[in-house]
Amino acid sequence: MGLFDRSSVGHESAPISVVVERGPIAFFAETIGETNPIHSDTEAARSAGYPDVMAPPTYPVVLEMAAAKEGERKEQTPILELIAADMRYLLHGTENYEYLGSIFAGDTVEVVSRVKGFSDAKGGQLEIAHLEMEIRHADRGVLAITHRDLIHRLSAKVTS
Amino acid sequence: MTFTPEMAKVGDILPPLSFGPITRTKLALYAGASGDHNPIHIDTDFAKKAGLQDVFAHGMLSMAQLGRVATDWAGIDRLRGLSSRFTALTPVGATVTCEGRIAEKFEQDGAPMLRIALTATIDDGTQTLRGEALISAA
Repeated sequence: MGLFDRSSVGHESAPISVVVERGPIAFFAETIGETNPIHSDTEAARSAGYPDVMAPPTYPVVLEMAAAKEGERKEQTPILELIAADMRYLLHGTENYEYLGSIFAGDTVEVVSRVKGFSDAKGGQLEIAHLEMEIRHADRGVLAITHRDLIHRLSAKVTS
Repeated sequence: MTFTPEMAKVGDILPPLSFGPITRTKLALYAGASGDHNPIHIDTDFAKKAGLQDVFAHGMLSMAQLGRVATDWAGIDRLRGLSSRFTALTPVGATVTCEGRIAEKFEQDGAPMLRIALTATIDDGTQTLRGEALISAA
């Protein structure tokens, strides 16, 4: 028996506004070992022709997490709760980013999350949730599209 | 940098990158920096209750390294896509080696593009991530 709530298929979250911040980008960049100063030093970013420090390639996931938290404060059900993700058995299957524009500190972006569908694998030992997130800017349009597969390892389910 | 995206050929190897050993402190910092607070990565008690021996690293921490392999070489302005499949768990203490190879040259809407095959491998030889980057070669 699967754990995901498959009735959530087709759900699209209300857009959530997130302010992209300089300090958190720099902290993230340092944590992942990123050494290019355009991700941590405003002067270096400006010298390179950017308006401010630029988000590294995997930063969309950070903005999506921030949007989920902000949504929770506004009493929106977070997508992980909506699909009934069980953190004990949850694995990250795939992550796919399509970049349509750069994201900079100071941007206000909107994040929308969608539940695209569910599938099964390995004879029912795994079940997979297919999610899609869009990060868009009021003037510059869609900046990034994320496709993410989350997996429940049902074979590891412990009885408690 | 010995070769540029404009002159890259299929089979060319990008400069590799090594990250780690990944400590528990690093996982705590990554949880804070990314907003991914899933306790399976930071709380050993929780991991044991879930039937695991220990916490394991966020897959996204390794994917960030795949991104660095691509952007250290090509520059972030050329990056059009980045994707990864997480093929095995990365244990605490692992050092992750990330490699990239030009897998394909193709055209998209008339513009030259490169597909870079990316892998992450830990000390014992286990491949933990398999991904690709799409790079503009214009």
